[in-house]
Amino acid sequence: MGRRDGWALWVGVAATLATLVVVFYYPVGRVFADAVAVDGQLSLAPIRSVLGDPFYTGAAHTLVTDPAAVPSGVVEWLAAGAPAVEFGLFGFTAYQALLSTLVSVLVGLPGAYVLSRFEFPGRRFLRSVTILPFVLPSILVAVGFLAMFGRTGLFNDLLGAVGLGPVELTFTLEIVVLAHAFYNAPLVTRLVTAAWESVDADRVETARTLGASPVRAFRDVTLPQLLPALATAAVLTFVFTFMSFPIVLALGGLELATVEVWLFARVQSLDLTEAATLGAIETALSLGLLYVYLRYEARRTEPGGASRGLSRRPLVDGVRSLVDPLRLAVFAYGAVVLVLFAGPLVSLVVESVTTPAGQPTGDYYAFLLARQASTASGTVRPFPAVVNSLLFGAGTLLVAIPMGIVVAVVATRGGRGSRAAEALLTAPLAVSGIVLGLGMLQALVFGTTLFGQRLTVTGPVAIVAAHAVAAYPFVSRTVTPALRSVDDSLGEAARSLGADRATVLADVELPLVAPALVAGAAFAFAISVGEFDSTVLLSTGVDTATMPVALERYVGDRSLGPNLGPATAMGTVLLAVTTVSFVLIDRVGGRWE
Amino acid sequence: MTRCDNWVMQRRTFLSRAGLATAGLAATAGCMGDSSDAGSNDGTLTIATYSSFTGEDTAGNWLKSAFEEEHADATVEFQTPENGINRFVQRKASGATVDADLFVGLNTGELVRVDEQLDDQLFATVEDSLEGADTVDSSLSFDPEGRAIPYDTGFISLVYDEEAVDAPGTFDALLDPAYEDGLIAQNAQQSDPGRAFLLWTIDAKGPDGYLDYWQGLVDNGVQILSDWQPAYQAYTNEEAPMVVSYSTDQVYYHGEGVDMSRHQVGFLNDQGYANPEGMAQFADADNPELAREFMSFVLSETAQKEIAVRNVQFPAVEGVEPGGDFGKYALRPPEAVTFSYDDLAGNVDGWIEDWARQIAGQ
Repeated sequence: MGRRDGWALWVGVAATLATLVVVFYYPVGRVFADAVAVDGQLSLAPIRSVLGDPFYTGAAHTLVTDPAAVPSGVVEWLAAGAPAVEFGLFGFTAYQALLSTLVSVLVGLPGAYVLSRFEFPGRRFLRSVTILPFVLPSILVAVGFLAMFGRTGLFNDLLGAVGLGPVELTFTLEIVVLAHAFYNAPLVTRLVTAAWESVDADRVETARTLGASPVRAFRDVTLPQLLPALATAAVLTFVFTFMSFPIVLALGGLELATVEVWLFARVQSLDLTEAATLGAIETALSLGLLYVYLRYEARRTEPGGASRGLSRRPLVDGVRSLVDPLRLAVFAYGAVVLVLFAGPLVSLVVESVTTPAGQPTGDYYAFLLARQASTASGTVRPFPAVVNSLLFGAGTLLVAIPMGIVVAVVATRGGRGSRAAEALLTAPLAVSGIVLGLGMLQALVFGTTLFGQRLTVTGPVAIVAAHAVAAYPFVSRTVTPALRSVDDSLGEAARSLGADRATVLADVELPLVAPALVAGAAFAFAISVGEFDSTVLLSTGVDTATMPVALERYVGDRSLGPNLGPATAMGTVLLAVTTVSFVLIDRVGGRWE
Repeated sequence: MTRCDNWVMQRRTFLSRAGLATAGLAATAGCMGDSSDAGSNDGTLTIATYSSFTGEDTAGNWLKSAFEEEHADATVEFQTPENGINRFVQRKASGATVDADLFVGLNTGELVRVDEQLDDQLFATVEDSLEGADTVDSSLSFDPEGRAIPYDTGFISLVYDEEAVDAPGTFDALLDPAYEDGLIAQNAQQSDPGRAFLLWTIDAKGPDGYLDYWQGLVDNGVQILSDWQPAYQAYTNEEAPMVVSYSTDQVYYHGEGVDMSRHQVGFLNDQGYANPEGMAQFADADNPELAREFMSFVLSETAQKEIAVRNVQFPAVEGVEPGGDFGKYALRPPEAVTFSYDDLAGNVDGWIEDWARQIAGQ
């Protein structure tokens, strides 16, 4: 970077790296060191022992234990008519992640189409709250899913009313995949919507006036601008669902266990070497995938120059429009969304005002008020938890947005190794939350001895830093493709007039990619509000409790008996607070668009 | 206690005096302390426990108030690390200070893990010098070295819906077609009742027979969810007519308008698996005397009754009868079984791993 980059960018890069080293690279590195060393000596033994274990890798284990036998094994397998092969825990984990990704894309993509191409009342609101599922703790998603898709759930009631069903979904791979889609289809929708809204209407119209059919114009002009966002969303969904943990065992059961379940069990039994090894292999796979994808994205993205967005058609345009096949398909999609997304969310809210016997009750909200009034030490009070969540969320935005922009700028510079650098800077997405938690515990909470002093890093500032590190990759991943599609000539023109890099960024480029930036901000806020593990680890007591922490405490609270009522009430508060926040973020961001 | 902790504590005291206790966002990041700094004996007893033991209406909160009333100079503070006892094993192993005096909520398997992980003693032996330790039901004592003292126990049993199924009665009956898709259990790798239920089957079927038995359960449609809460929630939603839970279930569910038919407690082979909870004083405690006084207090009859009712677990001291709803609705199994420390040492990790691999490898 030259002097023309401006000092602001330099400071940003340095601050980003410093934060990452303290709350991410160093803690995670300390854990991973166990995976590649035995008694302080570099060794591949831990990795070989995992990859060579048929339980973990199935048929692929011979690649490690007896590579020479692989060709003959493959020949035998082909001679036997190529029967189905098992690839162990890793194989199953990848398989369910692939299924989850496919379903998430299938469910999420039409949503982006509807939100970006049609105008209807409530569209902006829906767009704002798309990623609401992101903030929900898995225990509540399980509650909502059981109430909606369980044996006696609402979905079976609906099917029964039209003479169908019942379907048995609980404890199946299907319900786990649906729950993954519940979390990740919104990611697809939100990212692709942001990209679709940045498609330049002038270019589409130019193509059309030059004789391109609507399909051709879509394929040649619109699609190339959507693909990077869609591929980003798909890759992220795969990585997230590959590392999925609590929801799998809450809805599916141990027979559908993923690698992360074993990782957690290893940490519980303090077999930290094998835990580190499993985590390192997961991260290597995820990072490898991200790297391959980033290379593709860098080649793929074409400069667009977003000056004017596409106009949206009214969804309802007279009675006749209601029988238009396209609109009928949109309404059918709406029904799917109602069942899959509104269903569990509304069920959750209904559970918060219903006793286990099905009678209406206000007890769970009275519980929240009673906890608010409590003076007993160790009681997590709901209102301070709301305030903490909002403060940490705001703090996260303040830190994660600049970090994400800095990374996006570095990523779009090009040059040797920039893809590898970008992949490394996106690494927080590719590291298991359990590994990160373990690393933070060892390096930050227990402390690190430096110059004879044991340094510990805990408290609110550390929590915000940890949230920001988890959140900024969402900002950089939404902003990078958009930034890349900004026409270079605009920036060059400004720079020839004497503007430095930071000024060009702030005055020219960022306003052009505002939809992507707002989407990234919403993600960052959602990550912070939903975060649990590092918040609890780095907290200094109940005075730093956030909404998910309060919720978790109310799950364990038995004063109203062992039911999840108080937790669902707190979950409803969480949903309400987050909804308002998302709308505000979009409104404030929209003013800037 | 490190200097850092002291500083934070004093700061808290100051803030609450100034009426600013809610000014929680002041940064405490990057505070420094050196680990050799011994804390002063200021009458603060730091107790590490699980989070649901503390807060409004809990046994922990009652103990704190009652103990502080008896010991005017003492202040009880709770720590609730998310990873429980592992936090202190890891602290000790990495050379960080153990910043608590007492651990409350330790079970046999955890104590075995502590000893397998650490060469140094994490806990002090107290049994012989602890007032009241001799009153504890000896069948619940699980530490041959007298460090962990039981203060209450649960019994793992089935809870079933008598409208849907008859009481299964035996382990073998669970393999019958009548109980197909009938049982929800928990993952023994991460759940206390799940682990206790697995150990119970090992006790009943032997270390050589339990995997075959579980294959039978799997073939008959047993479901193994992550933990007690999702499992019980699924049971409540009628996903299956039986769930692995505690024999105290009806303490929560009785009285008018409650359908007791869904809260029947089923003991298998006329047994329940005892899962005693213990407390142990850290060897590095700043305040060992106060910790022992607290332990004795926990074993007093009044405290035992209160803990039983508030924690919904049976008292560990012999002859204590909590009475009231607890006495009426908490069911004791005809025979209590449990593995001793020596049975589990060297075995429990392997048993659980073999079991989990068999289930996940389906």
